[in-house]
Amino acid sequence: MSDNLNKKKNKTSTQSLIIDLFIWIFLILTAIFILAPTIFMFTASVMPANDILKMPYRWIPKSIYWQNYWQGIRGNDGTFIYIRNILNSLIVASVVAASTVILSSLAGFGLAKYYFKGRTIVFMMIMATMMIPFEAIMIPLYLVTTKLGLQDSYAGLIAPFLVNAFGVFLMRQYFITFPDEILDAARIDGASELMIFRTIILPNSMPAMATLAILTFKSQWDNLLWPLLVVQSEEMKTIPLYIVKFTAEKHTNEGAMMAVAAIASIPILIVFFKLSKYFLSGAVLYSSRKG
Amino acid sequence: MSKRKTSYSIERKKTRWGWIFVTPTLIFFLLFSFYPIFNAFYTSLFNKKLLSLKPPDFISFNNYSYLLKSLDFWDSIRATLVFTLGTFTPLLIFSLIFAIFIMSRKRLQKFFQIAYYSPAVLSSVVAAVIWLLIFDPRGLGNQWLNLIMNTPGIDHKWLANSVMVQMSTMLVYFWKYVGYFTIIFIVGLASIPQSIYEAAKIDGANDWKNFWYITLPLLKPTTILVSIMSMLQCLKTFSTQYLFTQGGAPLAPINVITLNVYHTAIRDHQIGRASAMSIILFAIMLFFTWVQFRTSRADEISY
Repeated sequence: MSDNLNKKKNKTSTQSLIIDLFIWIFLILTAIFILAPTIFMFTASVMPANDILKMPYRWIPKSIYWQNYWQGIRGNDGTFIYIRNILNSLIVASVVAASTVILSSLAGFGLAKYYFKGRTIVFMMIMATMMIPFEAIMIPLYLVTTKLGLQDSYAGLIAPFLVNAFGVFLMRQYFITFPDEILDAARIDGASELMIFRTIILPNSMPAMATLAILTFKSQWDNLLWPLLVVQSEEMKTIPLYIVKFTAEKHTNEGAMMAVAAIASIPILIVFFKLSKYFLSGAVLYSSRKG
Repeated sequence: MSKRKTSYSIERKKTRWGWIFVTPTLIFFLLFSFYPIFNAFYTSLFNKKLLSLKPPDFISFNNYSYLLKSLDFWDSIRATLVFTLGTFTPLLIFSLIFAIFIMSRKRLQKFFQIAYYSPAVLSSVVAAVIWLLIFDPRGLGNQWLNLIMNTPGIDHKWLANSVMVQMSTMLVYFWKYVGYFTIIFIVGLASIPQSIYEAAKIDGANDWKNFWYITLPLLKPTTILVSIMSMLQCLKTFSTQYLFTQGGAPLAPINVITLNVYHTAIRDHQIGRASAMSIILFAIMLFFTWVQFRTSRADEISY
């Protein structure tokens, strides 16, 4: 931000040169601190257990020890249940992401482009749910889920997350800037409202929808609390639950622990490095919901 | 005449379609947000037990008065508040410093943003498992701290000592979220018009004055936003504490409210009491949200 100022000063004063150098060292040391645990996870995941907790830690493994991954996937009991658990996470996160994108864009479109009575109240109601933390309502939700017999099922895992207020807000903000004239022109040409939504609105809102889909997918991929409440059987566990269980088991060695963690992280890290702009803009979009 | 009629029917049609578009979402929120929060409050007035066949008795606010007298619950409130203050203060300060430093670089801006943000991509369970190993007595935590403090061979008891285990949870959280808030600050910084700095340059301001009299005041809305967001997030913390206690760390120092709600409901089957706890948590969070609205309304900034 003060590049121009720096440029001139750097040549003249040694003081700002020292400050400049200090900032570089500070940033690089911090980057090392922040990246180290992730690198530790990947290097430890291919090391035998004896090498992992050895002082000093060897950052470059002597040889690649793939058995950890085998043990992680196979599980201590040899049931390969992790594969099923990964599949569960994929199903839950994908369904939640899809329904959030669809419902949020429908509601966001309705709130942005239709002037109906009660619109403000509906919008305020939806925004008010942002203040209700999931942690405060998880017990009633849990009771209802068990009463309906939905515990230990995909429906039970998915139902409380079908749409969220942030998604509606995000899509509404996005649609509000869309020019009314185009919609009216389509109406005059005889397009139905649903057709307008499908053929004009949807194709033009891909960036916002992609951001929302990625954020929602990720939050379900990470979800621990709700599955912990509603899942009972090994078959219905999701990745976080498997990691918790696997970590607590006696026969689990540290390398296999890191292998399991690495398997859970690789897909999301690949998506992150490929689509970092959606993640970074996601952080930004979250911040734009200020009062 | 006929023209007026068609425009009138278009308006009617638009009203109808507006409702059709929002109805599914509205029904969802009535069922999955509003009903449960009222239900949580209602349940908190009963001595409801999980798996009990006896219908629960109405005991009005007894659950609340029980909790307010319970040392265990006060310990949870203390653990939650200590964690929140101890995490959000460094988060706020360092994310601001990182953002300013990154923006002052001409090269590697993108690299630093991605690197700092990357832990936020990992799931909280994965983060906790990695740090569980780092905090092992033979792990990287001791190796690095001994290197920095020049105290070879000392075990700092990251997960065993009651003060250290609180610090450990804070460190994990800080590591995971500092990049996220750095990005938000970067956006805040980028939205400050360059012309202000150019004007200041003509007036002979130096970098330090720029920061103190221009950057910091103009970043106030972002600062308030970040502090409230991180505060609310810290109040809800669960995964790290849960996994650390599963991994053998003592429960008492890190028994945050959410963890206590979970244990009270699932292990002790005290649904009524757990509901009262979650309502108290909700009240604490509402209070902080209210503070956010008050402070952010007070100083809207225009450039």
